[in-house]
Amino acid sequence: MMFSLPLFKQSVRSNCVLWGAMTSVLSVLCAQFAALDMTQNLLFLIFYGMMTTILPGVYVLVTANKLIAGQVDRGSMAYVLSTPIKRTSVVFTQMVFLIGSLVGMFGVMTLVHLGVNQAKPLSLATAMGMGAAGGNEAMAAAVTGDLTSKMILQVNLSALVVCIAMAAVCFAFSGIFSSSKYSIGLSGAFVGVTVLANMLAMFGSMGVSGLDKFKYLTICSFYDYKSVLLSGSEWIVKLIFPALIAAAAFTAGSLVFKKKDLPL
Amino acid sequence: MNMIEVNKLTKDYGHGRGVFDVTFEVHKGETLGFLGPNGAGKSTTMRHLMGFSAPQEGKVSIDGMDCTRQHHDLLKKVGYLPGEVALPDGQTGRQFIQMMLDMKGVRDGGRVEELLERFELDPGCKVKKMSIGEKRKLAVVAAFMSDPEILLLDEPTSGLDPRMQEKFISFVREEKKRGKTILLSSHIFSEVEALCDRIAIIKEGRLVSVIDADEVKHGLKNIFTVEFETDEDYAAFTHSGIAPESGDRSARKCRISVPDEKTNAFLKALSKVRIKQISEHSVSLEEYFMQFYRGGRKFQFGGMSHA
Repeated sequence: MMFSLPLFKQSVRSNCVLWGAMTSVLSVLCAQFAALDMTQNLLFLIFYGMMTTILPGVYVLVTANKLIAGQVDRGSMAYVLSTPIKRTSVVFTQMVFLIGSLVGMFGVMTLVHLGVNQAKPLSLATAMGMGAAGGNEAMAAAVTGDLTSKMILQVNLSALVVCIAMAAVCFAFSGIFSSSKYSIGLSGAFVGVTVLANMLAMFGSMGVSGLDKFKYLTICSFYDYKSVLLSGSEWIVKLIFPALIAAAAFTAGSLVFKKKDLPL
Repeated sequence: MNMIEVNKLTKDYGHGRGVFDVTFEVHKGETLGFLGPNGAGKSTTMRHLMGFSAPQEGKVSIDGMDCTRQHHDLLKKVGYLPGEVALPDGQTGRQFIQMMLDMKGVRDGGRVEELLERFELDPGCKVKKMSIGEKRKLAVVAAFMSDPEILLLDEPTSGLDPRMQEKFISFVREEKKRGKTILLSSHIFSEVEALCDRIAIIKEGRLVSVIDADEVKHGLKNIFTVEFETDEDYAAFTHSGIAPESGDRSARKCRISVPDEKTNAFLKALSKVRIKQISEHSVSLEEYFMQFYRGGRKFQFGGMSHA
């Protein structure tokens, strides 16, 4: 048995507060950006451009550490491993929880956005940021029609895959290190660089010269909401990279955790 | 039959820490006390038995199964009480118990209720809010809930109040009677003395000795304090080839421990001098081992063996 339901339940109980808080904040922000006239043109630039990586980033940073390294560091992993469970099952179950909770988080947010969009449709021109600082007027002029439900699903899927890749890297640190200090430290550095570089790259794309190079420093560059809004297919191709990163990181973390000596 | 086997186990953590060439075994139905000060290597050995660490050299096995490769199989038979009381967080005591029952695949929770009642524990509140003693009791319940054949107890009574320690010791004694194989690591002499058939002593990562508990207790009884009539008697006795462990010339008193085979020599030496008072001294295991640790010498019975 690879999956352990009792362990999964414990992970849910232990992490539900932060999950609930992050999901609520994301949903409220999403509804607000999508519904209010003065923020609608920032929905993609600010909310989807930054919030959907920053908030889940904080969530995965804390949660990935708690799922393995934190429990090894505190010693509570000894109770889990005193039962007839393989370490592979432990790591697999925790991975399922981490990915599942992100899917849930984006799922709730997507439903909220779909609802708001039904009640108050948004024109694609506004969505592209026409009139907003840094909005791409030329691009905005090229699109017509409203933001569709399909686009909302696609944007969220794209953000989700990038967040899963971020989660996987944090999870790998959590599996590799037996001390929270290192796991949190390296994950924090990784998430920090990822979201900061993403913000700087965004300023770069708005015309601040020199900052556009930052897009090479962040996996958030693989998350391409513009392509979705323009009904392009680039965004799908770009998702291959975070998916590969996620697979590699989850595998590395699992293998190390399976083999290493635990200081329990 | 050996249930637990530790064979030439070596794990070097550097700076002299770790375990080196440790070999011992626990027979079926036996209780082995694993005695040593903090940092001596008790938990390290336990860690290998639980499969948390792989040995650098040597082999550890439980019931014929390799602890490193088959830990998930053999843990079906093992109850483990970790030295660490940090329990998985975010749950109540009851939820923790249920989680452990589910993970161990125990269907019948009857024994849990028995244990809860016995140790007077109310598992209703959040684990985070519990005292160390309550967490320890939860750990005890988890270790014994599946009624396992083999028990690995790492400093089981630390954190329990004296009354609960007593309860725990009488509980383990009953388990022992039911034929359980127990490895009990501890630095508390009284619980080792109360429970164990044999005692393995570890110091600075090396097994110093494995001894029979009865033998120790028996050997300990022959400690005498002798007070002599005169200084001459004192001098004559202390120069008779019998070396007292300690002596006080001005009080004409000396302390001497006598192994069984030296009893006659001891009596003969005594018969040659005038004695004011003689008393047999009862020494606790604790005193005995403290002396052993402080002295840093090899384990031996009595002070006459080097006479």
